[in-house]
Amino acid sequence: MRDLRTQFATDAGIVKAVDGVSFELFPGESLGIVGESGSGKSMTALSLLRLVPDPGRIVSGQVLFHDQDLLQLTGEEIREIRGRDIAMIFQDPQSSLNPVLRTGFQVDEAMLAHGKPKQEAHARTVELLKRVRIPAAESRYKDFPHQLSGGMRQRAMIAMGLANAPAILIADEPTTALDVTVQAQILELLGDLNRELGTAIIMITHNMGVVAGLCSRVLVMYGGQIVEQGPVDQIFDSPQHPYTWSLLRSIPRVDALRHERLRSIEGLAPDLLRPPSGCRFHPRCPFRIEKCFTDEPRLENVAAGQDAACWVTMDRARKEMGADSLVDIRPGAGSGVHPGELR
Amino acid sequence: MATAAVAIVRPLELEQASLWSDAWRRLRRNRLALVASIYLVLLVVVALVALVYTPFRMSAVGVAATYSPPSAAHLLGADELGRDILSRLMVGAQVSLIVGVGTQLLVLAVGVPIGLAAGYYKGWFDSVVSFVINVFYGVPDILVAMIMVFLLGPSLTNIIIAIVVTRWMDMARLVRGQALSIREREFVEAARASGARPLKMLFGHILPNALGPIIVQATFGIPSAILFEAFLSFLGVGVQPPTPSWGSMANEGVQAIQYAPHMVIAPSIALSLTLMAFNFLGDGLRDALDPRSRR
Repeated sequence: MRDLRTQFATDAGIVKAVDGVSFELFPGESLGIVGESGSGKSMTALSLLRLVPDPGRIVSGQVLFHDQDLLQLTGEEIREIRGRDIAMIFQDPQSSLNPVLRTGFQVDEAMLAHGKPKQEAHARTVELLKRVRIPAAESRYKDFPHQLSGGMRQRAMIAMGLANAPAILIADEPTTALDVTVQAQILELLGDLNRELGTAIIMITHNMGVVAGLCSRVLVMYGGQIVEQGPVDQIFDSPQHPYTWSLLRSIPRVDALRHERLRSIEGLAPDLLRPPSGCRFHPRCPFRIEKCFTDEPRLENVAAGQDAACWVTMDRARKEMGADSLVDIRPGAGSGVHPGELR
Repeated sequence: MATAAVAIVRPLELEQASLWSDAWRRLRRNRLALVASIYLVLLVVVALVALVYTPFRMSAVGVAATYSPPSAAHLLGADELGRDILSRLMVGAQVSLIVGVGTQLLVLAVGVPIGLAAGYYKGWFDSVVSFVINVFYGVPDILVAMIMVFLLGPSLTNIIIAIVVTRWMDMARLVRGQALSIREREFVEAARASGARPLKMLFGHILPNALGPIIVQATFGIPSAILFEAFLSFLGVGVQPPTPSWGSMANEGVQAIQYAPHMVIAPSIALSLTLMAFNFLGDGLRDALDPRSRR
């Protein structure tokens, strides 16, 4: 899987939900895509499989998979890819399983859709249910989704996703609907599957912790664009985009002083109907400079394997704006550039 | 560690209740629906028995005195030609059931695929279907049915076709609405993401989730079709003599209402009871299949 570039617009005014996103995914890799709600991370994944919901259109770009552009395939060809080469699991296992069909049968179907004989599919389903550690897999096969716990439902979804041994498994916030202990189990399972089966995983989440636990590389999305990307350790150690930096600061820390306030990022996610001029993060950025209001930064290499789209970058913000000692991170707090003073 | 934690989740003895067994349990608890079902089962038995046995041949003229009132030999009396009304009523039950059930089967065959496709694909196909449905609603159904029977000839099959032509829209519209809402649910997207074929999507994922309302609609459609046939027969454009229909029997009875009221009363009561039974059953099914009424 090489070089994906997707951009698309929905109507009701043009919402640029994904605005020029490029990235690569290597076989067996686990890639995290993080960002707030509405940052375009889910839409990026959906456009990969051409599952963008209705008013949405993929207006340009390429999704190259084994030297084939998925965006140029016919409906039938892309259907063949879905579930066989690239599978997807969704946020809420409660609603992503068909409530009136037996759980095991739904896993069967993922294989029947790609021409596997019924007998084989059934045998493999039971094997898969065991593989994702559903106890008593044979009897669970016959259960309806509502008879399973949330964690088991998500395991069943993962089994469905793995049914055809896909090269890529896209997980769209697979743990948000589950409680914390189950979350950890599901992540552990995904990690094992990634290592043992060599399935590449794209993990879409708003939770930096999830990325830290599972992924080797991470993309940070903001306002439909990638603002920073690089190896997970490096991003966590030295984030270069102020948005990534604030995301990391907003994680509650176990070792924090008890009276320390949880820091949130001031302001709202950008309105994609009318995205801000210049850098999309500038209205919320503590370290903005005048250029940020007018010129749009591009992704540029900031360290080995790490790119960031920022005019300032955190290295400079640390040196010149005292970022590390900054308690108040309101917009413009570090640089002192406020919109009123510009004009 | 993870496996140990999950092992405990194994439920105590989860009720193996599917949607259908739940619905069946609720239906049985509904007295009116239960009585209605029993009545309908009896009606089917009567109609089947009439295939091989009726007290008298239904078309045999003069087995009793004309217009003779109910008696021990002729429990429901005789009509203007001295034919046994009970025998004719039994055969009439066949006509009503065939028309009612046959119509609804055809309505299902036509309305369900059209509604599913329109609701799932939306776009131009949906616009065309919705337009056609509105056109059909705009034309008076009795007129259409009468013209069709005139053109095709008044056989039972043609009557059924005529009723289907005027009644398929309700089902198509209901299924379309169901498909429109179900297609937005996440499991549909999940199924698409796993590469399900279009037909599988329609009939494997959308249809099963719309089955409850469809069954209810079909159950309500049966009495409506029976009444329509009775009405056509009452007007004389329905089932042709000598085959008796409850509608044509009522028509003959109305003409003799002053001196032989039993002639109109018998088919009318049979018709009313049957219509009521289907409606109560439909009501019961609606309550039973409503997933929100978890009782």
